[in-house]
Formats: sequence, C-alpha cells, structure tokens
Amino acid sequence: MPRLLKTEQRHLLLEFFHERFGMDQGHFDPFDIFAFSRQAFLFRRQDKALDWPASSFVRCGLPFVRNVAGYLKPTTVFVQRFGNLATKNVLDMEMEQVGQLCSNGEIILSALPASLDTGYVIIKMQQHYLGIGLLLEGNRLLCRFPKAMREAISRLTPG
Amino acid sequence: MNLSPQTKHPFITKLYEYQELIPDFEGLIDHLYRPMPVYFRINTIKTGVDEAKNFLRQEGVEFQDTIIPELIKVVHHNHKRPLLSYHLGYIYPQALSSCMPVLALDPRPGEMVLDMCAAPGGKATYIAQRMEDTGFVVANDRKRGRITSLLANVKRLGITNTLVTQARGEHLDLPYKFDKVLVDAPCSGQGKYRIDPVSGTLKHVVKGKTDLSAIQKALIKRAFDTLKPGGILVYSTCTLSVEENEEVVDFLLNRRRAKLLALELPIDFSPGITQFKGKKYNEQLELTGRFYPHRIDSVGFFVAKIAKDGTEAPAS
Repeated sequence: MPRLLKTEQRHLLLEFFHERFGMDQGHFDPFDIFAFSRQAFLFRRQDKALDWPASSFVRCGLPFVRNVAGYLKPTTVFVQRFGNLATKNVLDMEMEQVGQLCSNGEIILSALPASLDTGYVIIKMQQHYLGIGLLLEGNRLLCRFPKAMREAISRLTPG
Repeated sequence: MNLSPQTKHPFITKLYEYQELIPDFEGLIDHLYRPMPVYFRINTIKTGVDEAKNFLRQEGVEFQDTIIPELIKVVHHNHKRPLLSYHLGYIYPQALSSCMPVLALDPRPGEMVLDMCAAPGGKATYIAQRMEDTGFVVANDRKRGRITSLLANVKRLGITNTLVTQARGEHLDLPYKFDKVLVDAPCSGQGKYRIDPVSGTLKHVVKGKTDLSAIQKALIKRAFDTLKPGGILVYSTCTLSVEENEEVVDFLLNRRRAKLLALELPIDFSPGITQFKGKKYNEQLELTGRFYPHRIDSVGFFVAKIAKDGTEAPAS
C-alpha cells in the first residue's frame, strides 16, 4: 500500500516544485500526496482511499515525481497536466527544434533565456506542455520524453 | 443480403432470431460489411475542445463534430501509429455508443462512483472527465493484464481522482457505498462484430464458452448492493443478446427493490425487449435502450439505468 506523506515531507516536496518551477504550493491544496517505492502520486483529496482493502488495491492518483539517482524528476504526465502552473525553468521551443531534440536525443541550444538553470526543465511547444528535458552545462539539452512520444513527434516534424 | 458460406457463424444464425425485433434488419446485415468508424473523445481534463481540434488538424486528422461536444468522428488520418495528441493525453479513441453508459450515469463533480469492470478505462476515464477530476472514482477490473492498460490510460489522461483496484466484481469487498455504479459487463460483444467484405469471415468474435449470463447476473446484483440508498446503477453491454441484456436486468428487478429510469440520451435508440422466445420480462424493461450499429453507425450497445429503492437520483 502507498503511504500518505506527512505534512513535513509534503512541504519539502512541494517546496522543490516552488523553487525549481515557481509553482505555488497552494495549487496542490486539493490533493494528497502518496509515496510508493521511489515515486510519489498526486491524488484528489478525500478520506476514502486508505480504507480500501490492501488485497485489491493497485494504485491511486497520478504519478507525480520520482527519485532518479538522488534527484527529483517530475513525471511527463504531471508536466503535461500541471506544467501551466510553472513560472520558471520552462523552455518554449519551436516545433522544428523539438523534432530535432526527439530525433537526436539531445541538442545544443544557441541561446538560453536567463530564467533557465541547469537541471530538469519543462519543455513547451506552442501552448502544449510536452514533458521534461535535462539541461546541462554548455546549453546541452537532453530529451527525457517517453520513447513512443519521441517517435510521434519525429513523425510530426520530418527532417 | 445473402451471406457468404464463410459467415455461417453461430452469431449470424442467432442474429436472425432477432429479425422481427430489430428495426431495418436488412440494414443491420448490410452494416456488418462496413468498417467501424473511429471516434476520438477529447480529454477536457488536459485540454480544451477547440485546442485539441486545432492540434489534430495540425497532425493531419480530418474529422466531423458529433452530437457530443467532446466527441469527434474521424473521417481521415494517415497515421498508422498513435498521434502526438494521443501521447499528450488529449484524446481517447472511443465509440459513440460507448459514451452512452456514462452519459446515462451522469456522474457529477464531487460524487463517489464505482466502475466495476473498468479496463481498459474508456468509460472510467470519461466518468472522471465528467466529474471534472473531482470526487472519487474506483476503477476495478478482474484481470491483471487488463489492469495494465487501465493504469496506462488513467495516467496518460492525467487523472488524479481515480483509485485502480483488481478484484472479481461479483466478490468486491467494499468498505463503503457509492452514489453511482457502472457495470459495463463482460459480454459476447456482438455489437462489435464485422464481416470482412473480402474473405467473408466474421471479425471481432469473442472466444470462450463462459456462462456470461451467470457472471452478468452476479455482477449486477453485487453492483446494486454497493449503492447508497437513492443511488444510480447503469448496466451496459456491447451485445444484442437478450439473455445478456434484458434477462439480466429482469433478474435484478425480481430480486431487489430496483426501479428502471427512462434514458435521456442524445442518439437514436430502440426500447428494450419485454417478450422473447416465449419468455415475458418485466414491463419496465421498455425503459432500457438498445443501440443498433446500423442506426447510429457505431458499436451496438445496450444500456439500462436503475435506481435503488425506487427513489430518484441523489441530489447533486
């Protein structure tokens, strides 16, 4: 069974999203956060989920963030749903650029907005929040989209 | 229409048993030779209807609007593999008639809803969407393999209000009761059958010899017992079989204080059957709905809306 994060753990997690992406913690007031294995889940708050018999419980809520090699990495589905709450470390890219990123797995960005720091960034194309990229020193951006989605983007942006 | 020898499947023989009951029966036989149209439901949890339509156009999808604002009928698209819209969780491929059980259930924000046979999640995720991703949805299914697709769809569509469980619906152990319950029961799937116009063989045939009617009766009874007083149960299948539809609902009406409610749905349907092969069923069954493939250009469906203890729907 997943465990409900205590107030302090919840605060630490949401503080990360506030610091890294400028997401106001208040946006997540209607949700509980559950931890299971190395992943946290965002679940619409009500008092019933934990009463469910463990024998048939499979999962509750939306995968939210996971621990990857000691770093917190937001999930693609979380970014697609809640990326619009981010006010920093959001990279707005042209379709052609996103296509290159997906085809090659990484690109070197020629210029970066000042609001971007190295680490995980949210990638946006037009008004669509696509997923996560990893920005490294030297303006190197690594694609962290799921493979099937990368293929779908590559098909949409041939060449 | 004369059916080719290869189509002498028991289903075809069985279908002729309904000849007198199904309006424009020849039209139904003709329709079996046509490909099933594709519909996309737009997931308004993640995007707006217009926004998704614009993106689909960018992806080269041609479509028409339907009577349901969030459902579009695909006229043409070149992609053999899932679209980016699919990976972004903007769309769920869902038949027009498959939306009807959810519209009949009419889930509202803040309610507690159980989908007893939920995988792969088309109706459970539509329920969550109609509830604006609030309240509480329990999406249950029996088989581990099917749970995987249910989990993937709940995740892809960005849903936060759903608990996924794995248990036999008829033995579901519940710590609480629900406002609304959907039983989209496992069935013979006759409403999905197609005849390959080239080979003449029947496609989408469900294999196995399980006593479906017995399972369906156990499911509907258990589902009814999980409702709060005044709660609403919707029972649906994608088959034309009277034994799997009216007879199952009749079974419930004979064993519980259940009352059928009239369906108010946006597409054409025929009333349920009250007499078949010498058997008489409860007169209330006229309030159930039969959605015939040739009348709606979609999968054949059966929908019954049932209230507990004869009361009306709970106040929302």
